Amino acid sequence: MTDDMRESLSAVMDGEANELEMERVLKHAVTDEETRATWTRYHLARHSLNGGSLAHLDWDISEQVRSALLEEHTAGSAPVSTGFKQRVLRPMASFAVAASVAATIVIGGQQIAQVGNADRYDRNQAVAISPPPAGIVNIEGANPVQASYGMQSIPVLQPTTRTAYRDLAEQRLNKYSQQHAEQAALNSPQGLLSYARVPQIRE
Amino acid sequence: MSECFCALTFTLLFITVASVEAATCPDTDALALSWLDKMSRNSQQLSYHGVATLQRGGDLQVLQFSHLESQDDSSESLIKLTGQGAQVERAPHPLDCIHPGQQLLRMGDALQASDCDMARQYRFSVVGDGRVAGRDTVQIEVVPRDMYRFGYLLYLDKETGLLLKSETIGHGHKVLEKFQFARLSYSEAVPSVNGIVVSHQAKHPDALNPAISAPVSRDWGVNWLPRGFMPTDTSFGTSGRRTYTDGLAVFSVFLEDLNREMRPGEGLVRQGGTTSYTRGMLIAEEPVLVTIVGEVPVNTARMVADSIAWEH
Repeated sequence: MTDDMRESLSAVMDGEANELEMERVLKHAVTDEETRATWTRYHLARHSLNGGSLAHLDWDISEQVRSALLEEHTAGSAPVSTGFKQRVLRPMASFAVAASVAATIVIGGQQIAQVGNADRYDRNQAVAISPPPAGIVNIEGANPVQASYGMQSIPVLQPTTRTAYRDLAEQRLNKYSQQHAEQAALNSPQGLLSYARVPQIRE
Repeated sequence: MSECFCALTFTLLFITVASVEAATCPDTDALALSWLDKMSRNSQQLSYHGVATLQRGGDLQVLQFSHLESQDDSSESLIKLTGQGAQVERAPHPLDCIHPGQQLLRMGDALQASDCDMARQYRFSVVGDGRVAGRDTVQIEVVPRDMYRFGYLLYLDKETGLLLKSETIGHGHKVLEKFQFARLSYSEAVPSVNGIVVSHQAKHPDALNPAISAPVSRDWGVNWLPRGFMPTDTSFGTSGRRTYTDGLAVFSVFLEDLNREMRPGEGLVRQGGTTSYTRGMLIAEEPVLVTIVGEVPVNTARMVADSIAWEH
């Protein structure tokens, strides 16, 4: 596998691939045994980490992704890849930053908090390669966990849930980045620069 | 402070390093490694101050750094000249206190034992030179060997080894973050700055009294790490945070107990080279919220989140 290919594959896994890269990876995965094997390997690694059964993994991932893509296109839904800029500039949800998870659930995450509904997402609906942030990872005990890395067949999240989780990630960044910087400053060559990445320095 | 946490870490590190079998270091530039070694050793032992910029996406910050070295210790400060007007100060830090991340970069001894260490994770090469902040620099390219970390372009002062400029490179050679000094002076006279609103004293981990902030109810562990990452702390217990470094990249894992189940899902925010990945999930039926904050790609964060489990 060439470095370029590895890079594109990495982009796909990062959920950062543009359509061209995605096409390239897919094309390669169909014709190139090694690329396909790499994909499968990552899935296996992930799968065994979660104590899942390996028997379910002998599928052709590229084929699955390809058909998912096609469904996306034919359905005329959201574009496969959303640009970083678009994501950043997307208007923030209107709820305020809360101090605890509980508060977040109450204020912003009605969608997140609704648990108990047996069919919390429809496993039969079209799978999608979702632009991050997205994707429920199936973590419920009995069912085998499907591999992810941002390109697996993941249940489509309700947009509201997606937004809530994105905001939660942002809120947690604000909450934790200073603690992270404390450690990073002593363990990376950039030293105190780590603190410059903290949105709001607290005393 | 004399009971520096580093003494413990050092032992730990030694064992780790010694257990790694010796191997040849493929396509690695020994000269580049010696530069990194010099950077890690010298940067604590210089007195300098300067103004630098940090560019992340559309955001540009102007920062003032100062670093004062004395016989046994060094003190330093960072002032955000734009935005918040915040200052971070580090009280005198013993020169013989070496943290895991710094130790990883000091590959001089490891090289002689033909132990590749960091060269297993990154391909290092000297690719050129140039001038930054009026100083001659050597330019080192750092290319990751897997997809769990970013690449870097580092510009080190040819005379002192100080890091004067760095670029964090994501996939597709995209520059995620750019840091560089605009002005630098190797002297002890630190210019004063007005308008500091917030002043923070940088904390130092204490091996004897580890600060456990936001503890969780049970011991937990991360069962998968990208190759070469090691913990920055010596003990964890029920602390809600774990931090790992490979010498260049650092990420922290935060675990929160939830008092009620929430809809499983994940969210992602990126700022420059920093990823914040949050996942609501169940570990052995118990609802938790996992957050990974750090300078790593999102696939790393995802993998790490997948591997979290209760211990015992």
